[in-house]
Amino acid sequence: MSRLPLEGIRVADFGQVVVVPYATSFLAWMGADVIHVETETRMTSRETPPFWEAVQGVNRSGMYNFINTTKRSLTINLKEPAGVEIAKRLIATSDIMTENYTTGTMEKLGLDYETVRKIKPDLIYLSVGAFGRIGPMRDLKGYHSINNAFSGVADVTGYVGGHPRLLGSLTPDITSCFYSMLAVLEALYYRNRTGKGQFIDISMADSMVTLIPEAVADFTMNGRPPVRVGNHDKEKAPHDVFRCKGQDRWIAISIGSDAEWHNLCGVLGRPELVDDPRFADMLSRQRHQDDMRPIIEAWTVGREHYDAMRLLQEAGVTAAPTLDAGDVMRDPHLMARGFIATVDHPEVGKYPNSTAPWKFDSVPSFPIRPAPLLGQHSNEILQELLGLSQSEVAHLTATGAIR
Amino acid sequence: MVKETANTASALAGLRIVECGSSAAGAYCARLLGDAGADVLKVEPLSGDPARRRGPFPDDVPDLNWSGLFLYLNYNKRGITADLHNRRGRDIALRLLAGADVLVLADSAPELDRLRLYYDDLREMNPSIIVTVITPYGLTGPYRNYTGDDLTAINHGGLAYVTPGLPDIIGGSDKEPPLRANTCLSDIEAGIQGAAATLLAAINRSFTGQGDQIDLSIHSAIAAMMPFETAQAVYNVPNDREPRTFGIQPNTYIPCKDGYVVLAAWMQANWRGLKEMMGNPDWAESEVFVDQYERARNWDALQPLLLDWTIQHTGEEIISKARTSGVPAFPAYTVPQMVQSEHLDAREFWVHVERPGKGSIKLPGYPVRMSQTPWQFRRPAPRLGEHTLETLEGELGYSRADITMISAAGIIQEIEE
Repeated sequence: MSRLPLEGIRVADFGQVVVVPYATSFLAWMGADVIHVETETRMTSRETPPFWEAVQGVNRSGMYNFINTTKRSLTINLKEPAGVEIAKRLIATSDIMTENYTTGTMEKLGLDYETVRKIKPDLIYLSVGAFGRIGPMRDLKGYHSINNAFSGVADVTGYVGGHPRLLGSLTPDITSCFYSMLAVLEALYYRNRTGKGQFIDISMADSMVTLIPEAVADFTMNGRPPVRVGNHDKEKAPHDVFRCKGQDRWIAISIGSDAEWHNLCGVLGRPELVDDPRFADMLSRQRHQDDMRPIIEAWTVGREHYDAMRLLQEAGVTAAPTLDAGDVMRDPHLMARGFIATVDHPEVGKYPNSTAPWKFDSVPSFPIRPAPLLGQHSNEILQELLGLSQSEVAHLTATGAIR
Repeated sequence: MVKETANTASALAGLRIVECGSSAAGAYCARLLGDAGADVLKVEPLSGDPARRRGPFPDDVPDLNWSGLFLYLNYNKRGITADLHNRRGRDIALRLLAGADVLVLADSAPELDRLRLYYDDLREMNPSIIVTVITPYGLTGPYRNYTGDDLTAINHGGLAYVTPGLPDIIGGSDKEPPLRANTCLSDIEAGIQGAAATLLAAINRSFTGQGDQIDLSIHSAIAAMMPFETAQAVYNVPNDREPRTFGIQPNTYIPCKDGYVVLAAWMQANWRGLKEMMGNPDWAESEVFVDQYERARNWDALQPLLLDWTIQHTGEEIISKARTSGVPAFPAYTVPQMVQSEHLDAREFWVHVERPGKGSIKLPGYPVRMSQTPWQFRRPAPRLGEHTLETLEGELGYSRADITMISAAGIIQEIEE
């Protein structure tokens, strides 16, 4: 048994930049035929750095190539009525349609849910907006910084006594991407049983708020606003990052019990600290965080972060290296688990690309193909899937509807 | 936009989920399935899930049934207690799993080895069962048996290194230590992914008739959040956390008279608009601020100049001026401001948990609105052991006498009313 879960499912992907294109990549890895609908006249991530060998080109953007693997590319110009007609023919043959334009754009194009459900009644239509498609802020364009700052997530992120800070990665996009994938699968499970499609409205701002339940609960229970605590935690100490050998290299150490603290004292070669009243129990250690740092760093600073992790974990101490993105792509554990695949891109060559973070017992590995070249599959999709003749394609190309 | 119908169809109605293990990621995974209409039964040890002791608590009074984190991770579930390390407690779990569609099993890998609820055994009994296993490092690989928590996951997965994130250079650009958001972010992210993977297996099962096991590592769940940063690394962009090299400005939040405001005015047209808002000061014409990259490179000079102006105005004044000039500017909310914002109320985002005689607690809901199968808040998190009796007697057919005996032996705990 090695059927992929989404074999036979087609996705008409009108997504841009990160949130929707990354969600549909997961659907592609799970077996769906994802067709990325693009146009030469308005590109987003294909024009965003980093570019391979620092040379700009529509097929050379890492931002595009990492976030669109295993898809097919169809170029149609939605500003042309004939382009919109092709889009509708594609939607009529698809199970799922996805988009994250500014609120109102799909209505202007004539590709909104109420219109396209008439041609595909059981369609699952995913629509993601910075603030969703209803609510007083629905028309605002959102950026990474805005969703961090609006959602309160920046308010719980920061060094002791400092300003709110932004989370790294494109967290609002990525978190909403995971919710998008989940919601589409809920809708698909429901459609498979009932034959009914539906419209899905996801707000990136709402998605971010789901990350901070304790801060919300403390305010709604006790009226208490959050206090920024750096890397500390109210139930654990020490619970922080410590300098390792090398430039800007760190290890995270998290002590959740007295026994774990005793293990750490052993690794540090400081067994006498077990009897030090400053560190006797969690409350004392919370109070003396600053006293512990030099003691721990005296040991970590001379060691590579991976070596320190191995020594600490083998002694029963929760610890992990702080990896930068390059380290992540070389991490022995992620490699061993098949999280990193190799793709062979026609313009860029072979390079490592991450894939889904889970494994199924029934599926040895997920299909991963390089991101499509711009318009790479236009002809095969138009002729084989949508039944256009060669001369129709030539005409539509000449009139600017296909490009 | 599409109006939600008043219909009460649930996407996952009829799907039976059993949840075991102490991980917040497993709890959130199971709750999301419950939000979409699945029937979720949480099996806790007699001492209760660790999140019951985590808080925050109303008036700071510890209470196993009123921990904010537990209430959030476990609404839309029923709950029983059973000691799975005991033969008779284990028997209860196996009888539940014989009739379940999904087991969500989340803890450290060594603890799961002690629980011995292995997929290979369970499928013998129930060939269509889906077992969703969530552990810090997964069930295979060199670090399988290492312990982990949110701090180690976000560091080992790459997120801490890039936090504070671009274009966040509010505090100046001296190298700062990697940073964690003070929340259980990795558990939430892994929980969403685990729920999605579970549904993939459930969809596949309707074609194959076979169950499956999902092996999700929280470490990988965080690494999967980094496609942009890993693209930069693979495409040879140095990743040295130096915002002046990579940033575009102004595209950040900045202190103002009454808090902070977000200015996303890096594009030239918006920068011109911002200069106009500030009364076209001479300094803004300097060569060092000529484009978005120069403005990032010279942020240490630009930030105090902007601040001189923003600090004289409230956030509301700045946003209203910005609207006139077409400059993207947004409120930067504290948690209290966000909780009270009109937008989230209008989206009916919140869950309200009633405290008898003491008002209600607002918690985040499911951030997805679905026209045909709207998610529902059907029940608050279970009190410890709340559904033990009804489950054993009503669903598994234990007699009262058996239940009393198992309870007296300390294997289950009936709730005291």
